Amino acid sequence: MNRIAIPKHEWDEKLHQLLSSFDLYAPVENDFSCDYVKLDADTVPEIVYNKPKPVTPLKKFFLPVKENVTARANGAHPVVILGAPNCDVMALAFLDQIYLDEEYYDPAYGARRDRTTIISSDCLGIQEHCHCTSYGIEPTGNEHSDLSMALLEEQVILTIFNKKGESFLEKLGLVVTIEPEKQLLEALQNKQQEVKQLLAKQNGKLPDYQETGKLVNGSGDEIWKKYASDCVSCGACSAICPTCSCFLLIDKPGFQKIRQLDTCQYPGFERVAGGEDALGPLPDRFRNRYMCKYVWKPQKYALKACTGCGRCIEACIGQINKNELLMELSN
Amino acid sequence: MGKNENLYKPLKCELTKVIDETPLIKTFVLVPEKEFSFATGQFIEVTIDGLGEAPFTPSSSPLLKDQLEITVMKTGYVTDHMHTMKPGDVMGIRGPYGRGYPIEKFYDKEVLILGGGCGFAPIRSLLYNLIAISDKLRKVTLYYGSKTPEDCVYKPYIQELRNTPKIEVLRSVDQADENWTECVGVVTVLLDDVYMDIKNSVAVVCGPPIMMKCGTIKLLEMGYPEHDIFLSMEKNMSCGLGKCGHCMMGKYLVCKDGPVFTYYEIKDQPHIWN
Repeated sequence: MNRIAIPKHEWDEKLHQLLSSFDLYAPVENDFSCDYVKLDADTVPEIVYNKPKPVTPLKKFFLPVKENVTARANGAHPVVILGAPNCDVMALAFLDQIYLDEEYYDPAYGARRDRTTIISSDCLGIQEHCHCTSYGIEPTGNEHSDLSMALLEEQVILTIFNKKGESFLEKLGLVVTIEPEKQLLEALQNKQQEVKQLLAKQNGKLPDYQETGKLVNGSGDEIWKKYASDCVSCGACSAICPTCSCFLLIDKPGFQKIRQLDTCQYPGFERVAGGEDALGPLPDRFRNRYMCKYVWKPQKYALKACTGCGRCIEACIGQINKNELLMELSN
Repeated sequence: MGKNENLYKPLKCELTKVIDETPLIKTFVLVPEKEFSFATGQFIEVTIDGLGEAPFTPSSSPLLKDQLEITVMKTGYVTDHMHTMKPGDVMGIRGPYGRGYPIEKFYDKEVLILGGGCGFAPIRSLLYNLIAISDKLRKVTLYYGSKTPEDCVYKPYIQELRNTPKIEVLRSVDQADENWTECVGVVTVLLDDVYMDIKNSVAVVCGPPIMMKCGTIKLLEMGYPEHDIFLSMEKNMSCGLGKCGHCMMGKYLVCKDGPVFTYYEIKDQPHIWN
């Protein structure tokens, strides 16, 4: 694993050079929030470093809300996404298991994955609902991204995880053999440790991923009825979730098919012709999302179906707090 | 499926014949624009251009590559429209998808098949396959139930089966008319007087959910082991690719892990009968 450090102003200059040949996206603050924007000369210096987490999950770059999946994929610019937190990177790795499986490789998703370089971000702070470490996910970049970055002492520290990351740096004309100073790396490690301690303190009572599965699976109906009474089936939790990726296929003339993101929170999700619906009542649909993430998907896929980003809590207009529910289950 | 093939693009098929089976059920004979193979029990997604898509298990022989048949009950948006279609019209198909019947596990066995209503469709495909390898089987008995004699599908094929060595057919209807000479009652009644060498037998069940449930319970009572009862499950299989999530049945995606499961595999999963 190679690392380099580059002064921030030089890094910004390098990114400027890339604007003509790459589509660059990174989190930038606006009046209300922090979210990915397509970078231009003005926004490169405004990239937000070290901070969890953009409002929108990383999946939006690979699974648009709506797209024609029977259309021929157009050639497009290579894409670089900077500043993706590791909860999102791990969620994308989870989606890869579904969309890049050997038997049914999804061409639209696959083409986007191929042309995108992901530079993850080390989170050097936490937000109110962050709980990645409760589910065994580190708040720092790993090999599921191509590179990771952190900003410390006006130096951008880049960690290279694979060939794609290496070739990206080559395009920038950066030599990967120059080691960052030991003191800088130590400072980074200390910050990373602090973040883990903050997360542990914030989520001390939250059951871990495996235990959550046991609790959700073994629970009675009452708790689901109670929390579902505040649910209006708007589907915001799924739309904002970095691992939720269920979809509808909508037919259009010319045997075209439109893929539109869908959710088990909507009525009729499992309804078959004739009217049978395995997920009829709202509390059943509400619970289904938890069963899916903590009980069933873990039996099917190696990676975790909830990466602890906490966006579903923030997005819920019924103010349902998933973690409060899970802590209530564990009491 | 190769990386460059579009998973979602249907193969066009010409509808060459429409057979009225019952007032609510029709069989459509489709000729695809290029050869199409499937294993018995696998399903296909049928597209009605611009209108919608629905999953069906072909009811024809898996040995035929140049045409296939689907038997369709008029029961929803897509199937209502299909029932208005005429020879010369075009449909699209995708697939085949999922795991069909594990025919090799039926070798040297007696095969009990329990079917109801339009659930005969996958069974007919299975029967074509079993007849083609009947030298490897002991015997096949079909127990088929429908609401009334008018609702019995594949009437000419039943006659054909009754003249086929090693095949026995028993039918029942919930409500008989004056011409009905066979059993009256729900299909599981047919199993009351059955003697099967259960140790050397497997059972296949396909039909409406309530029939699948009652049939499975009956077979378990008869002594069939859970792993020798093969069920063809019906869920909202939409993409067929194990991605869209609509056919999730606990830890399984019915489109990819099924649609054929043993009872042993699915007995602990939720909502298996609805």
